[in-house]
Amino acid sequence: MELIAFGSFAILVALWLVAPSHKGEIVTMEEVKKAA
Amino acid sequence: MENINSGDTAWLLASASLVMLMTPALGFFYGGLVRKKNVLATIMHSFFILCLISVQWVLWGYTLAFGPDIGGIIGGLDWLALRGVGMEPNADYAATVPHQAFMVFQMMFAVITPALITGAFAERKRFKAFVVFTLLWATLVYDPVAHWVWGVGGWLRMLGALDFAGGTVVHITSGVSALVAALVLGRRRGLGSEAIEPHDATMTVLGASLLWFGWFGFNAGSALTSGGLAASAFVVTNTAAAMAALTWMTVSWLHKGAPSVLGASAGAVAGLVAITPASGYVDVSSAIVIGLGAGTICYLGIQLTKRLRVDDALDVFGVHGVGGTWGAIATGLFASSAVNSAAANGLVNGNPAQLGIQLLAVAAVVAYAAVMTFVILKVINLFVALRVPEQDEVLGLDASQHREAAYTI
Repeated sequence: MELIAFGSFAILVALWLVAPSHKGEIVTMEEVKKAA
Repeated sequence: MENINSGDTAWLLASASLVMLMTPALGFFYGGLVRKKNVLATIMHSFFILCLISVQWVLWGYTLAFGPDIGGIIGGLDWLALRGVGMEPNADYAATVPHQAFMVFQMMFAVITPALITGAFAERKRFKAFVVFTLLWATLVYDPVAHWVWGVGGWLRMLGALDFAGGTVVHITSGVSALVAALVLGRRRGLGSEAIEPHDATMTVLGASLLWFGWFGFNAGSALTSGGLAASAFVVTNTAAAMAALTWMTVSWLHKGAPSVLGASAGAVAGLVAITPASGYVDVSSAIVIGLGAGTICYLGIQLTKRLRVDDALDVFGVHGVGGTWGAIATGLFASSAVNSAAANGLVNGNPAQLGIQLLAVAAVVAYAAVMTFVILKVINLFVALRVPEQDEVLGLDASQHREAAYTI
């Protein structure tokens, strides 16, 4: 179980590194609402 | 009184206070998620239930749930209005604390359970129908199921079902009933054609944080003593909540492109739900896996509910029904007698039969809660309309049901 626990946490950390990030484009609340 | 342990008593009463705080915290968690014209009505659901079930529990709820067994199904009426429930311990339930301390700790569980359901019918249920529903549901669903699982002689307890702090009794009953209520009441007006969005995300995050705080009493308090088992339950509770929050945030980030604050809050609650039945039986590594599962499975459950166009307004089924079911199954997988010598092992520790018992308990509680909730709602609807009229829903429940406004600025 310890191995699975360490592995699952490591996967989360790796996913944060590859998760999409905004690159400075302006985001308005209207755009946020439309996206949601 | 020589059997009373002051440390155990102090911890149990403090835990009861922590669990009490969870119900108004839930009001704020839900209150932030609704439109501002419905926030007072939403908070009132939780606050009113705190008052209503506090009285129902001492009059007849406690004896139905924990009174002397009748056929494994229900408690007898011997302890009606707390007759015989005094300052001496009851060794059947908690040998080192006053019987009333155990009773009031359990009261807070009975309070929060129907409050969880209110998220499903938020923004459209008539207050009078809600009052009647809560009283009937607590008496006909919560009290019997609590007896099945926790009461001495209860048939699921006798079968060996493990539920340390209420995965089946609290979360599956409320989650499944929420789904039924959402289906019976129907969708909110305007859903899909106009923006229906949380009016105050900060209120929701605060509510989730207070729920997390109170959950230490919920789970660690369920040890009923102030020793090592309480400490273990405390640690796994915090671990699972954190892991589920991280997981939910990550899954929603990959799915929708941004790390959601509300998602992290909902994920923490999902983790707390899932660890609840397992919290006295599993170690910290299992808690991480349970949190990982909760953050993923509950998120997917909510997406499925939305795809099926069920208006479970505040995702009660996805978080509590799905999370409670995952927690009950995970208990059958990961339970360890090394953590709790009074409990059976789960599948990964060489006892596959425990998983079967857990699945049977889940199926029985799901079926009972679903059927009873449907019947209760249909019967109430014969006398009091469940939904407010269209103009009241458009106006908002704060004004139409309570003649008050949450914000004057």
